[in-house]
Amino acid sequence: MPDGQRRPTLAVAASLGAETVNSFLTGNSLFPDDASNRATVQYGGTVEDFAADLRYHACLLPCPTPNRWLDALFRINCNVFVELFPNLDLGDLGPLRTSLRDDRRELVVCLSTQSAYHLPLARKFVTALRQRNIIGDDIAPSVELAVQEAFSNSVMHGNMELNTSGRFTLDKLNILADETRKRLAHPFYGGRAIIMAARHTQKGRIEISIHDQGPGFTPSDDDGTFNLPGDQSTFGRGLPLIRSLCENVRFGRGGRTIKMTFPGHAQANTNPFIANPVTPASLPRNGIGLARILVADETLISRESLAAYLKIGGFGNLAFARDGEDTLAQADWFLPDMVILDLMMPKMDGFAVCKALRADPRFADIPIIAQTALAETAGRTKIFEDGATDLILKPVNKAELLARVRIHLENRLLVQQLRSYWERTQSELELARNMQERLIPRADYYRTTGAHYGLSISAHFQTSSELGGDLWGLLPLDDQRLAVWLVDFAGHGLGAALNTFRLHSLMSSDETPHDDPGAYLTALNRHLKKLLPVGQYATMLYGIIDRQDNLFRYACAATTAPVIGSAGNPDIRFLDGSGVPLGVIADARYDTREIAFGCTSFLMLYSDALIETELDNGETLDPARLQTLLQKILMDPEETGDLAAILTGYFLDHTPAILQDDFTLVTLQSKPR
Amino acid sequence: MNYKSQQSGDTVEILLSGRFTFGDHTAFRKLIEEMRDSGVEKQVLDLSEIDFIDSAGLGMLLLARDEGEKSRSSITLRGAKGQVKRMLEVARFDTLFKLEN
Repeated sequence: MPDGQRRPTLAVAASLGAETVNSFLTGNSLFPDDASNRATVQYGGTVEDFAADLRYHACLLPCPTPNRWLDALFRINCNVFVELFPNLDLGDLGPLRTSLRDDRRELVVCLSTQSAYHLPLARKFVTALRQRNIIGDDIAPSVELAVQEAFSNSVMHGNMELNTSGRFTLDKLNILADETRKRLAHPFYGGRAIIMAARHTQKGRIEISIHDQGPGFTPSDDDGTFNLPGDQSTFGRGLPLIRSLCENVRFGRGGRTIKMTFPGHAQANTNPFIANPVTPASLPRNGIGLARILVADETLISRESLAAYLKIGGFGNLAFARDGEDTLAQADWFLPDMVILDLMMPKMDGFAVCKALRADPRFADIPIIAQTALAETAGRTKIFEDGATDLILKPVNKAELLARVRIHLENRLLVQQLRSYWERTQSELELARNMQERLIPRADYYRTTGAHYGLSISAHFQTSSELGGDLWGLLPLDDQRLAVWLVDFAGHGLGAALNTFRLHSLMSSDETPHDDPGAYLTALNRHLKKLLPVGQYATMLYGIIDRQDNLFRYACAATTAPVIGSAGNPDIRFLDGSGVPLGVIADARYDTREIAFGCTSFLMLYSDALIETELDNGETLDPARLQTLLQKILMDPEETGDLAAILTGYFLDHTPAILQDDFTLVTLQSKPR
Repeated sequence: MNYKSQQSGDTVEILLSGRFTFGDHTAFRKLIEEMRDSGVEKQVLDLSEIDFIDSAGLGMLLLARDEGEKSRSSITLRGAKGQVKRMLEVARFDTLFKLEN
């Protein structure tokens, strides 16, 4: 669809106000043509106000952008995030204008220097790339460090024009601190934009670029060695470090743009914001005879004899390449099912070609048969390290060549059939996952419901690599009493998900009174025991917040310990979550426990993924660490408000993009009166 | 970056937490002044709660070392983990500081 016909949808921070937003949109610097005039604008007070299933073309962040709003990068279904600050002038900064292509594999963030300076932008940017499956967890630490170094150069040397060269001394530090404060507050320096953008390149790499609006910086010819201690300070010595962390570094716009390239991510697509995975070219299903084979060899005579053999063997769909670069070019249009590759070729040898092919997702798993006259074993071992599937010796024997070509193509066909089966299963699982997510209360529902009881309710729910068994819900009992429940079926996968559906229909149809938690769980267990196959069980909490009696009354079946506390008070308590899991024995009995829940109290419920998932420092959020973290959040004057959102932001920053288990976190906080 | 310091006898222990990056020079300047004013011989910077450090952060640690040398006090870096530990290794900080687990 041409840009002119689009009607962009914008997610906008409510604090910006309609007037600012309108004048920005008519200023027409964000979208080409008159698309801005037709934009649909949706306002939200927090990141959580924007529905996860809605797609936005751009998100306008508040000014100054608080830390909490950076979580929008991975919580709002959008690829372009712009802080709307008074001096915003995009000038020659192009990436925003091309972003209407709406490529979901891109991410663009534009902030004022004033905001960017104080924010952990590198971390949040990398978390967003991980969560969108644009980069793998494995390279995330290197990417974060490279982005951090490049970002600090762009902010300090670029936009703020601060000189930090030479040896660091306390005096210099003092001058730097004063000058930094002045320039941040200065509209000229502090009001410059900084843009961070990530995109896929055609060769399957990830390019991250950082653009500033400073005077430009020309890097000296560096020998590329990273040598920190010494006469020079490390401040502003980031470039060698950056070079050591990525594949390639380039500069543009007269040194006001740095572009860093990282290896791509060839995993199955699980980007939560992309519905359909890209399917690689597939081998004809009717057999291997139609397979496309690319023959790469420097000499014409070798190419011709290989072609003659292959034709005798029934393989006629051939293409040829003369050297290494030619091989990559031919592969690009021919999309071969197999490559027969000579190791000794001009321009680029077979080892490098093999590596390059493997780095391209389109050729990541095609058979590559290397042919070599090399007698020495080192080269023969190396080519396997570089990704070859098999090796044949020159001069090539016809029978051996055909046997190997056939076996590898047959294997590839089998792998493709398996993959197509896997993809079908995946799409069905995806459907089931969507159905399961629909059982979870939507944000607008739990917020409105909570408000009625003087509670601000916030939640995060994320399924694991497979389907999971978590579910939570709310049940208004009367004007003063609100029931909340959280269940976690053992295991994950289809079985656990089916059980969540079973439970959901059971709870909706059940006649048992809901106002006595212990009696309710006792009855629910009796029903579930009949429904659940032996060996399947669930943990559950069912509780009632009673506003009249200022109580939280609850019953537990082997659940994680609910946390209760008070706003602005570091004393939090882990409640007793013990009890027999549901579905184990028919006549299990559950007691109702109670604890005071006043007008400043909050309650936090969570599935065990919160406390059992290994964080990037190798630790888990065991109760002691969770308590420390919660206390820090509660006592931090800058972290006002939404406990679940803050904790989720922390959790996603420090955990793998794909979780082993479902993650559910619900907080119910009394609103200040 | 935040820090808390605690003195016992001739040792000052300073627990740093959060991200330690180029924007933390104001906080770090204060910290160095406190270290200098304490007049204590042994200073321990506990990095166990720092979850990320960049090259500017490393630069500031070097500055702390320089200041320590002026007042003849020794600085130990303790408890670095994960990314912080790797950065200290890459920068060969073991040749410049006393490192403790």
